[in-house]
Amino acid sequence: MSETDTESLIGDEARAAIGSELGRAVGTVVQKEFQRWAAAVGDRNPLYFDEDYARANGYRDVVMPPMYLAHVTGGVVDLDELRADGIPIRSGGSGSVQLPRCPRRMAGGDDITFLEPVYAGDVITSVRSLAGLEQKSGRSGDFVLMHFRTTYTRDDGVLVAEAASSLIARPANS
Amino acid sequence: MAEQIYFEDVNEGDEIPSLSLEIERVQMFFFSAATYNGHRIHYDQSWAQGVEGYQDILVHGPLQVALLARAITDWVGGRGRLVNYAVQNRATAFPGEQLRFKGTVTGKRQEGETCLVELKVHGEKGQGQILMPGTATVSLPRRGR
Repeated sequence: MSETDTESLIGDEARAAIGSELGRAVGTVVQKEFQRWAAAVGDRNPLYFDEDYARANGYRDVVMPPMYLAHVTGGVVDLDELRADGIPIRSGGSGSVQLPRCPRRMAGGDDITFLEPVYAGDVITSVRSLAGLEQKSGRSGDFVLMHFRTTYTRDDGVLVAEAASSLIARPANS
Repeated sequence: MAEQIYFEDVNEGDEIPSLSLEIERVQMFFFSAATYNGHRIHYDQSWAQGVEGYQDILVHGPLQVALLARAITDWVGGRGRLVNYAVQNRATAFPGEQLRFKGTVTGKRQEGETCLVELKVHGEKGQGQILMPGTATVSLPRRGR
């Protein structure tokens, strides 16, 4: 891939955001919210639903499903602040990295290390930064891989998890 | 839940029980709702097909990631824990397709009192088309502790 191609999908504004903090958000863990998530996954693990079972296995209460963590700090979105595809314009995430030539978004991947169990009532702060932007070529054309780093910290200062995640940004209908 | 599995019981090459299922539109709607996700590609068929060029609405990448995690956490039981989980979304899945989530033990080690098992995991569909390759590290209890 030539340097010209490399520059073509990633603009200066997006490139300048690499390394910067994109967003910081705080959320309180709500038992019913993570249970609704688990039920939507079809994951009826009793650790998430049955307090006695959770206690018998060393937890102090039902525990939050680890993969729910990314949703704890989600915000409130106004309907007039959505892109045409329904993604928030400013989400502290992908929407705030401007890639006008690549409007389509898809999950790329996750690499998460879980350090502490999380319970209902825990207050979690997530800090997300843009770790990098990579232009790639795939079967369905060129795309940009957006790399993020996120830390999740409880309000007593304990880091509960850290994540490297990525999103795929594709040109319109490529 | 199945019986608790212990560190001593696990050997390299062991396969974890696979999870096999089809995702239907209602489940996708509930997952969008549970994750506060308004992205049209997961519910607006005319958008997914006409604007984005997909054959149908797309099963959420994070739902597939969660299903693969479910296969892993079901296997480790109440006393096991997911320590690290890394997956890449490689292909798209559509409602009604048969999806399978699998894992194989690739190693085990102890770090102090913690007994760790390494897994190679993946989601697949069709004749084995890989949706999501990945790895996981889990901790398991030892017998008698």
